[in-house]
Amino acid sequence: MRLINGNGKDKKRKKHKISTIVIYVILTLWALTTLFPFLWVILNSFKESSEVLTSSFSLPQNFSWNNYNNAFHRLNVLNAYKNSFLISGSVTLGVMALSACMSFALSRYRFKGKSVIHGLIVASLMFPVFSTIIPVFRMIVAWGLLNKNIAVILPQTAGNLSFATIVMLGFMESIPVEMEEAAYMEGANVFQVFTRMIIPLCKPSLSTVAIFSFLWSYNDLFVQKIMIRDNTKFPVSTLLEEISSQYGTDFGLMAASVTIIMIPVILVYIFLQKNIIRGLTAGAIKG
Amino acid sequence: MKGKVLSLLLAAAMAASLLAGCGSAKTDEGSEAASSAETEAAAEGEAGTEAAAEAEAGKNPVTLKTVSMFGGTDPNAGVYQAINQEFMGEYEYITIEDNSQSSDEDWKASVAADFSVGNEPDVIQYFADATANTVLATDKFVTLDEIQAEYPEYAQDTLEAALEAVTNPDGVRRAVPTTGYWEGLFCNKDLFDEYDLELPADWDSLVTAIDTFKENGIIPIACSLNNVPHYWVEYFLLYAAGEADYITTPGEAPESWVKGLETFKTLRDMGAFPEDTDTVDNDYTGQLFINKQAAMQLDGSWFAGSIEDTDNTVVIAFPGLEDQKAQAGAMVGGISSGFYITKKAWEDPDKREAAVRFVEAHTSKEAVQRYWEATGAISKAAVEVDSIDGMTPLALSALDYTNGATSICAPTDSRLGQEPYAVIISNIVKISTGSASADDVLNEALELYAQRSE
Amino acid sequence: MLYKRRWPLLIFLVPGLLFMFIFLYVPFIENIKNSFYDMTAIVEMPGTKWKFIGLRNYRKLITDPDVGTALFNSLKMMVLTILFEVGIAFILAVLVSQVKKLQQLFRTLYFFPVVISATALGLLFKLFYNYNGGMLNQILEYFGKEPVNWLSTELAFTMICIPTLWSYIGFYFVILLTGLSDISDDLYEAAAIDGCNRFKQVFYITLPMMKPVFFTSVTLAVTGALKVFDLPWVMVPNGAPQGVTHFLGTYMYQTTFSLSNFDYGSTLAILIVVLGIVVSRMMRFLTKDRKGGE
Repeated sequence: MRLINGNGKDKKRKKHKISTIVIYVILTLWALTTLFPFLWVILNSFKESSEVLTSSFSLPQNFSWNNYNNAFHRLNVLNAYKNSFLISGSVTLGVMALSACMSFALSRYRFKGKSVIHGLIVASLMFPVFSTIIPVFRMIVAWGLLNKNIAVILPQTAGNLSFATIVMLGFMESIPVEMEEAAYMEGANVFQVFTRMIIPLCKPSLSTVAIFSFLWSYNDLFVQKIMIRDNTKFPVSTLLEEISSQYGTDFGLMAASVTIIMIPVILVYIFLQKNIIRGLTAGAIKG
Repeated sequence: MKGKVLSLLLAAAMAASLLAGCGSAKTDEGSEAASSAETEAAAEGEAGTEAAAEAEAGKNPVTLKTVSMFGGTDPNAGVYQAINQEFMGEYEYITIEDNSQSSDEDWKASVAADFSVGNEPDVIQYFADATANTVLATDKFVTLDEIQAEYPEYAQDTLEAALEAVTNPDGVRRAVPTTGYWEGLFCNKDLFDEYDLELPADWDSLVTAIDTFKENGIIPIACSLNNVPHYWVEYFLLYAAGEADYITTPGEAPESWVKGLETFKTLRDMGAFPEDTDTVDNDYTGQLFINKQAAMQLDGSWFAGSIEDTDNTVVIAFPGLEDQKAQAGAMVGGISSGFYITKKAWEDPDKREAAVRFVEAHTSKEAVQRYWEATGAISKAAVEVDSIDGMTPLALSALDYTNGATSICAPTDSRLGQEPYAVIISNIVKISTGSASADDVLNEALELYAQRSE
Repeated sequence: MLYKRRWPLLIFLVPGLLFMFIFLYVPFIENIKNSFYDMTAIVEMPGTKWKFIGLRNYRKLITDPDVGTALFNSLKMMVLTILFEVGIAFILAVLVSQVKKLQQLFRTLYFFPVVISATALGLLFKLFYNYNGGMLNQILEYFGKEPVNWLSTELAFTMICIPTLWSYIGFYFVILLTGLSDISDDLYEAAAIDGCNRFKQVFYITLPMMKPVFFTSVTLAVTGALKVFDLPWVMVPNGAPQGVTHFLGTYMYQTTFSLSNFDYGSTLAILIVVLGIVVSRMMRFLTKDRKGGE
């Protein structure tokens, strides 16, 4: 009896173990698909173009920084990084501030037309940038802002605002109002409540909003390409797209370009990734 | 006016929200001003030692914005960059900010957009024919007469015939050309020898060559139908329609034009184009030809500059079509582009002379000689060039070809203009598979042309 | 009490709304206007006047076979994003929630493709698919097989969908995973005691509990599918090969920026926005209905 029992337990444990192994195998395989392309591209960025075409899997025959030299020499990559960070940094701050205010208003106040405004915000999630770009371009030209960073910052801020507001709104609605009322009794006004209580509480969703605004702004080639038409003022993505369109057959150079675009965002992501997960879901689930 | 108010409001809102967010926003606010101040300061710094001398001459530092079609892998690009460097060395108060790109339909569209919104450069090298119509409509170029009235030596090296060739469609001269071009069939002669083939001289021998290469696993014709089918479009139209009908722009698509474009389907069905011709770009197919994976490529004279094996590559006349109406040896080519100075630069007292000197630096006899040599010394130069010794077999074949040309016609886009021509180009893949009719496509383009020229 | 006085509302709400209004709604209205004119340039130049052409663009919209392809592909993409992006993300999330070690690592890696710009990914996959020496054909060559044209008319759509779908799975993975972790462990323990195996637990506990998260993910996925543009454009511009990979976004881009047909481009933009609003309304309707039924 005891023996059988023990056996059964063993069996169960064994079965459990096997299924755990299977799960790990599946998860690892998927992780490989997400990791492999990046390793591949980094590996090939150290090769000659012809070598990329003949043997893209082996280690480079002569490990060379040529492609990077080429990219940095031919183009002002550092200046492009500066432009990118100025643009995406401003978009991030702008989106954080505006979406926090909007979602605060929508989560705390009751007023006529609230559902209309909410509807408009959700609807503006449907506006792809390319569908509004021609009129926006005309406005930017009329205001004399073409080729200036602000020409990218304004439309990108507007474009990211609806997603950010929806995320923030979900989060704010989950914060109980009682504490704020208590603070009010002690003499705090609305703005003090907002800046000293709400904002600190919203940190996780704020950093989610920050990360996505930054990512989407940095990676948004389209608006950059339309608004910044002067190659001395190009941000990173535009500059490197230029390489690929002008030197399309130099695969080594292309691999290096891709790596140059990727590095900063990967770093930003790794630094801030803990927040992404908490903030995003809180908003998304409730929103 | 409304726009101004809005922008002010916006800027204020933006600034307020940014400041509330973080102190670093300040750097952004000032960034534009700061960076332009920086470049100016840098320019001044560079000119530092010369500053005294320049001050005597009374020259303020000038930043010249320039655009040319000598970009990317174009062999002219090297010469262009070198001349710019030398130019900045000679005139230390001038900084060149160059924005050159090799030309394609997207680029032409974006130049037109820049001109229409006032974002034009100071100097641009651009087309002189109908392709420039959208740009000419903005009336932003200075005429040659006006420039020469003040700078009589401007464009003095340039041949009269070359200036005549780049006269704009309205009959006014504005551009100064460097070199002309022709379009011809580049062949990897070693591949033809290997399979015992004659270089194609007519439609039948072209077909034989295509079949033989196809059987032996060599791509007969390197061409990206989705990206740059332009050369084939031109020769199909020219040979199917004959010289006279080719250079007229009819109201409705003539049967011969339709038949010409339908040749795309004939060739595609024969397997003449690369397997992936629908998805790759022009650079890529050019590489196929250079690597000897493809036997033939129809291209412009500038392509000669990127060919490495100049001993075994030759260029010949377009072989011809079935029932062709053009004479054998009919050629597409000419001088189609040149340097323009925009009113923006001309009306700026500091920039006026800088722009003039810049164009002179690129169109002088010496500069054109360099451009001419860089592209294999085989195109038509806009100045009297000195012939060079030791011409490569490729260059010799090109000389034979151009000397033997029975007629020279400018390509269709020089008459239709950018927008209607783009309609044709974007439909070539469909014509080649038969999913669009050449008749409809040509009529759509011609109709658009009629609308635009009203 | 605190929120009785309404005036601060203006300060909080107006700047953001103004932004959306100026950069989203005003342009949309301007698009509608533009679609009735023959735009000869990107802006109306002094001295020229655009001709009023009435409904010509809308008539073209209905008869244009490319619009048909693009519309069909975009709708197909919506279904695929729901099935594959949300589906695979859910499977991965469930699996990850079952393991204890390396959870953090998997989370980080799975999110990688979301971080990278579509342009970079597009270039990357272009190198994979190259007929001549691309990565996939190098593998085939290694095994002595004939190279395949991965972007032929038959394969192209699938080959474009793979990276497009794959790259955003991580996004939904993260949303779903946190949804999962919000389900209390007690529920699972109780179920385990009752003899539910893991599979049954997923079916009877996880799925029902996750409904709201699912609906959010699906809404985001569907609207995301309509915006698909940059990845396909970098890999196969102009709907290559032969227009079979056109999406509404890419076709609008080609019309506007390669062919300079700005007015027809505006018409296509209207189609995209209207379709987006209709679809999201439908999603909302479905969601509400389900929630009411619970």
